[in-house]
This record gives sequence, structure tokens and C-alpha cells, in this order.
Amino acid sequence: MIWFFVISLLLEALSFVMPAFVRESRRLNVAVNLLNATALLLGLTFSLSGLLVYQYVEYQIELPAAGPVVIGFDGLSLFFLFTFQLLSFAASLYAIGYLRDYIERGFSVRAHLSFFTLLIVAMQLVAILHNALAFLIAWEAMAVAAYFSIVFDQDREDVRRGGFWYFVATHASALLLFVCFLTLHEKTGSWNFNDFASYTGYDTQTLAIVLLTGMIGFGIKAGFMPFHAWLPNAHSAAPTHVSALLSAINIKAGIYGMARLMMILPALSAAYGWGLLAVSLVSAVLGVWYALAQHDIKRLLAYHSVENIGIIGLGLSVAWLGRCYALPELVVLGFAGALLHTLNHAIFKGLLFFGAGNVYQRAHSGNVENMGGFARVLPLTSATFLVGAISICGLPPFNGFASEFLVYKSFFRTADLLHGYAPLAMLVSAVGLAFMGGLAVACFTKLYGIVFLGVNRSGIAPQPQSEPASSNIPLLGLAGLCALLGIFPQIGLRLASPALNELANSAQAPVGWASPLAQLQIVFALFLALVAICYGLKRWWQSKAGVRVHETWGCGYARITFRMQYTASSFAEELVNLGRPMLAVGMKWKPISTILPTAEAFHSHCHDRMENGWLAFHGVIGRVLALFRWIQSGNIRHYVLYMFAALFFYLLCALVWN
Amino acid sequence: MELISSDPFSWLAYALFFAGAPLLTGFVNKLKARFSGRFGPTVFQPYYELFRLARKETIYSVHAGFISRLAPVIVLCTAAFAALFLPLGKTAAITFPGDLILFAYLLALGRFFQILAALDTAGGFEGMGASREARFAVFAEPIFFFTIGSLAIVTRSYSFTSILVGGISWSDPSFVVFVSVGLLSLFFLMMSECSRMPVDDPNTHLELTMIHEAMILDASGVDLMLYQYTASLKFLLYCVLAALLLNPFGVFGPAIGLVVFAMTLGGMAAGLALVETLMARFRLVLVPQFLLFATAIGLLNVLIFIRL
Repeated sequence: MIWFFVISLLLEALSFVMPAFVRESRRLNVAVNLLNATALLLGLTFSLSGLLVYQYVEYQIELPAAGPVVIGFDGLSLFFLFTFQLLSFAASLYAIGYLRDYIERGFSVRAHLSFFTLLIVAMQLVAILHNALAFLIAWEAMAVAAYFSIVFDQDREDVRRGGFWYFVATHASALLLFVCFLTLHEKTGSWNFNDFASYTGYDTQTLAIVLLTGMIGFGIKAGFMPFHAWLPNAHSAAPTHVSALLSAINIKAGIYGMARLMMILPALSAAYGWGLLAVSLVSAVLGVWYALAQHDIKRLLAYHSVENIGIIGLGLSVAWLGRCYALPELVVLGFAGALLHTLNHAIFKGLLFFGAGNVYQRAHSGNVENMGGFARVLPLTSATFLVGAISICGLPPFNGFASEFLVYKSFFRTADLLHGYAPLAMLVSAVGLAFMGGLAVACFTKLYGIVFLGVNRSGIAPQPQSEPASSNIPLLGLAGLCALLGIFPQIGLRLASPALNELANSAQAPVGWASPLAQLQIVFALFLALVAICYGLKRWWQSKAGVRVHETWGCGYARITFRMQYTASSFAEELVNLGRPMLAVGMKWKPISTILPTAEAFHSHCHDRMENGWLAFHGVIGRVLALFRWIQSGNIRHYVLYMFAALFFYLLCALVWN
Repeated sequence: MELISSDPFSWLAYALFFAGAPLLTGFVNKLKARFSGRFGPTVFQPYYELFRLARKETIYSVHAGFISRLAPVIVLCTAAFAALFLPLGKTAAITFPGDLILFAYLLALGRFFQILAALDTAGGFEGMGASREARFAVFAEPIFFFTIGSLAIVTRSYSFTSILVGGISWSDPSFVVFVSVGLLSLFFLMMSECSRMPVDDPNTHLELTMIHEAMILDASGVDLMLYQYTASLKFLLYCVLAALLLNPFGVFGPAIGLVVFAMTLGGMAAGLALVETLMARFRLVLVPQFLLFATAIGLLNVLIFIRL
């Protein structure tokens, strides 16, 4: 089976270089993306069969400096490989139609397609390389490829800005990871994860350094608060197929790293688990609250990624506690929630971004205040977006519910098994999860209701037109997966079970611990049957009692216009105000002073306090470094002098130390 | 524990439950009328109104799509299905560990569609109602999890059946306090969730103050009937939950259990009628404070919970 994967990588290498040979953009776009999709289909066959008929395999390649590089296909790697390939497959198909629009507007997609392919390949490599040095190279390749994929539309100022946010964040993350893995290498004398795991001589101080740098480094990538500020900026700047990849799977590389660290390092103090719990809870609640305040469809979805990363983090922290207190059941439940939510979030977030991209192309703007009535214009997008919206709110019977259910269950089990203040903390976490569920419902009823329902708010009704066929397949496929993994959640659990067995380090069947999941399918089948029967009865009765279509009743007012609808801002205003100390809402308007006022304007904008904090922090660094700006004289002779000085310095050092 | 109950008596109880839902609403209306010195319509009035609506034709807005047509059914089915988790017999019709989570999320699904159906009509009033519903519903789930969730943790069981049937040890005095406080927050939750005073006024129809009535302003005929029936069903749902909670004898145990059950139901209805007679609706800005207060009561529960 491994040949499937090798061929898949070779095909991707081919599509990486293809832009150098094919001149015609339109044909190139179709060729590269179809080739990628084919390659990923082969890769999916490999990872899926690997997960279903699981057996650990590893391959070794000799590399200079890094020593033997282990390419390992264990449960965790295969699970993430599968997730990455699934979404990359969908995004490749979606890119065909999406990029065609740009090509028609005269954009050059040549370099973009290469970097997009590189991003897909690098993400797969990150999941399977079990050698720290090779891992870091793949990690950096992923970061660079993602950066260049983001700044596709580089003439726009906000795009360059968003790309720069990503660039800074990903390098901060890489820097910390270098410290983390170099410390491990220093200690164990090896680069391979297996050796890190089998080494027993860790002292608490080393572990603390490794854990803190590793967790923060991966946490920046995953987008935990307060390191999330790059996310909304980068996601809204990137073209849709790239933002879908970023939001659905690129940030999951951070989650993979965290899970991997937890797997290879011995369990340390529970305090880290409680800390992660607190950070996750804050990320989840504030993430959705900030999302509620956004007007831009992509920024809103990006903030929702912060929320979902928080939910995954909740699962991870329960698993951490389970490891510290040697309770394998909690490890399995926590990881089951986290991994299942990773897969589920990848699916519905990809779906939502693709839907948002279709809307964006019709509206030519991401501002939801100008939207409305898109259900008539884009019926398929509307229906699948609804599925995604229900899933992301964690509502039954779609897949978001299954994973949130597992997280709840892990909370309740933790409360059972641990004593002291643990039950109280778990109750507060459960209430927090419920609270953010309520906020998510508010947020997605706002988004779906304002974008797809009602009448268009820009005054010009967009004409109904068919969605591009290349977007129909990913939309329908992902919506189908949302339903499948929602109604039969044990399928997702089955895919995660090799990883769960290894993470819990036990041979017991973990599926039994998550048993209510199997009962959910019967309950959902009954529920769906009830809905279908009731709907059929209602339609039958209505056909007898009569149905008529008429203008919306305006309570006696006859001149209703589209401007009288509720807007996204007014829908969310009160809830945003409730979060006032944390959410800074800036408003700009002139009070009406005359009796017959002319046109007046009102602007409101929600600032992210943490983003402002980072900007201030970078400002300080910038001001300090500006003191040394005279070094950069721009005169080439000075630079030659610097080089000589540096060389001289190194020679001196070599002399002294020898 | 089996997933689906095979006890015919519990199914009979469910039949009574679904048939009797409008009766409790009628009872509250009757009591309210009596308290304010009027004679009031018969307690069966809600049934007459449901029948009247069912006979009428349905009018949909020109802007409305499939959401408006689907939503009444989803709203009804979620509330009805959630009711199946409550142990009306010796066990609930459907029970599995974690059903209380599904209970909360099913009701949230209904709310999701209710809000969307309101936005589907493109009307300003409906949008206003939808916004308010979304805002106040945010508090509903924390209140629910603070009360029922803490009960689940204390009794170490995660289904309504195992909590409500024999999960609570009544000999422990702190449990008694616990349940009474929980009952109070359930009562507040019921006022908010069932759109009753002082959160919402089920009687005003054309004011700028309404929530639930504003959302269904454009619904008519069978759809309106389904919405109205679901409203009374949800009211009964919360009252029954409270009555099951506050019952040391068990509903299907000795006869006194059934008496206590009926008395709690009546008590909830009478309490609501009293509140609606004596109080006016809160100004909307005050409603979040009211709900935060209910959440704070839940927190009080937690303090007791540390004691246990």
C-alpha cells in the first residue's frame, strides 16, 4: 500500500514543477489541481486503509546531519495524514473554479499553484516525519508555502498585512520549536521521536523548558488565545481555497504537535493540564464572542476556528490530567474528543469556507451587511452552508455534536474520578461549553440568516446563477460527511482508535469507553424519522387546508423596503455589548442636530484587545530596534566591512577556544 | 439499562403528556384571569384555538424559502423528542448515559431553526424578535447545566432516568437544599425559555417589546398551530422536569408520589400565574440582569455542591 503514497507524493512533485512547463494559465490551473486531487485520492486510499487495517510501519532514510530519518505511520500520524489529505483533496477541487475567476481578471496563478502544492505536500510530511530535524524543515516549508499562498492577491494592502501577520506568528512558533527540539536533542543525543520517547533520564527542569516552548510554539500555530491574533488577519486575506486549508487543517498541525509531545514525553505535573484547560476555555468563549462581533464573513469564520481549537484543547487537557493521574479512561476520552473534533472541525470548517467563497465571488465583498437573499441565488451553497452551520454549533444530528458530546462526557468522567476541586472545575468547564454553544447559535443564525435569508441589503438583487461544478463536489461531499460522521459517530472513533490505543498506552478497546456514541445513531435515526413523518403529515394537511404566498406582513405598514430588515450588527449588538470589557467596540457617528437631517452615517467596529496588545508589543520592539537602524546604511562597502568583521570575529573565537 | 423503554405504562404517560400540554397553558390563563378578577375562558380554550388554526390556510412570505416551511416541524420535533428523555414512567422512553446533553442541544436546535425562520421573512419585527431570542437563549444553557449538570456530577449519573429515579438521596439535608435551589433556577429558566413574563409577554402582539410572538408574526395556519402547540409543550416540559425533580416518593411509587407530582405541576402553574398577574414585563435591558441572577442562583448551587 505504501506505493500508493509514494506515487501520490511523486504526482504532487510533478504538479509542483508543472507551472514551469505549461504556459496557458487556464489549462495549467485545471491540470495542477486535478493532478493534486488524483494524487490525494491515492494518498487517501493509503491512509484510510492504513487506519482501518492498522499495523505500525516505519521506514528509515539516511540523511546527512539528521542521521536516520524515521518516517513512521503510527495511529496519530495516519489520523492526521488522513485529515490533511481529505481537506486538501476538497480544496484542490474547489480551487479549479475559484481560481478561474481570478484568471479571467488577469491574475497570474503560476507561482501560486506551485506554492499551493508545496503547502499540501509539506503538511503531509509534517504528519509523518518522526525526526525532529526533518520535521522542522517540513514545518518551515509549510510556513513559507502558506505565506506565499496567502499573499496571492498581493496588490491589496490588507492581504500583504494579513500575510505579514502570518509570517511573524509562524516564525515565533518555529523559534520556540527550535528551542524545544534542540533541548530534546541535547538531552537524548538523537533526533528521532522514538528515542525521545524511550529516553528516561529527563529531569523536571528540562521537561518544563521542553513543554513550555513546545506547547506555546504549537499553540501559536494552532491559534490558542492570546496567540490567535494572526488568524483572523491571515484567513481573511487569503484566497478562499487557501483560507479553508489554513483554518481547517494548517492550524491542526499545531494540535498534532501538541498530541505528539504528550505522546513522547513522560507525564509531568497536572498544573500544565489545568493551565491548558483555562487557556482553552478562554479561547473557546472569547473566540466565539469575537466572532459574533465581526462583519466580515471570513474573519468571523476565522474567530470560530479559535473557538473550535479551544474545544479541542479542552479534550487535550482532560487527556493530560488522565495521564498525570494514571487514568487511561480519561486519556482515551479526552483524546477521543480532541481527535474527533479535529476531524469534524476540518470537515465543517472547510465546508463553511467554500460556501463563504462562493458568496464572496457573487457579492465581491466579504461584508455581510451588504448581503442577504443568497439562498435564492446559490441554492446548493445555501443548503450545504446550513449543514455546516448546524455542525459548527455542535447541534445534533451533525458531526459537531458527536465530538462535543465526547468532551462533555470526558468532563463528567473526570468529575467522577478525581476529587477535591476537580469536579467543580469540570462543572464550570461544562457550563462554559454550554455557554459558548449558545453564543455559537447566535453567531451562526446571524451569519446564515443575514447572508442567505431575507432580501439583499445592497439593493441590487444578484441574479440566480449556477455554482461552478468544481465547487459542488466538495460542498456536497463535505456536507455528506458532516451528516455521516454525525449520525454514525463511531466511524470517526474507529478512525481514531489506533491513535487512541497508542496514546493511552493500553490494549483495551477504547470504543467501549465512549459507548453512548454507538447509541446515538439509533436515537438520531428515530429523531430523523420523526421529523420526516411530521413534515410529510404537515405538507399533506397543508395541501388540503391551502397554501398561499403573499408579501411579508408589515403590521399594517405598506411600504416595506429591504433597508428595514435587521442587519448583522443590530442582530448581534446587545450580545456584543454584554462582552464589553473584553470586546472593545468603537462607534463613530454624528448626533442629529437639525430638524430635517440629511444623510447621516454610523460606523461600528469591534477591536480585538489582544491584537492591539500584540501590536503595541511589536511597536515597542520596533522602537528599540530602530536605535540600531544606522547600521543599515545602504552603502555596500559598509556591508563588506561587516562581513569581514564577522569573519574575523569567528576566526578569533576559533583561535581562543582551540 | 435499555435504550428504548418497553414499559407500556410509560408510553401511556407520554400520550397523556402530549395530549395534555395545552391544558396546562389553559389552566394558567384561567388562573390569571381569576387572580385579576375576571372569569376568563375555559381551560380548554387553547385546544379550540389550535383547531381553529389548523383549519386555516397557510400564508408564506414571498421572501420565505424552505426554512420557513421546515422550521415549525423541527421546532415541534425537537421539543417532543427532548420530552422522551424525561422518566414519566419507571424509566424514560429513551434513555442513555448523556441524554441530558442531547436534551439541551435538541432544544437549541429548535431555537436555531426558530430564529432562522424569523429572519427568513425579511421583516423588521421578526429580525428584532430573532435577535432578542438569540440574546436571551445564550443564558438558558448555562442555567440548565448549572442545575442539571451539577446534579449529574453529584449523583454520578448522566441520564435523566438515573438522576430522577432514585438518584437523589432525600435523607441528606444538603440534597434537599440543593434540589430546592435547583428548582428555583429551573423556574427562572422556564420563564425565559417559554417566553413568559417577566421576560416576554405572551399576550402582546404588536408591540416593540415582544420576543417569541414577534418571531412567529408571519406564521399562519398549520405552522402557527405547530408553534403554539410547541410553546405549550415546552412549558409543560419544564414544569414536569421540576415536578420530577422535587419528588421524594417517585411518581410511579406509592400514590402519594403521584399526588406530589400533580401538586408541583399545579404549583408551578399557579406560581407563574401569580407572577404574571403581579408583575409587568421587564424593560428589555433588564432581562439579561434577570437571567444573570438566575445563573447566579446556579452558582449558589455550586457552593452547596462543594459541601457535598
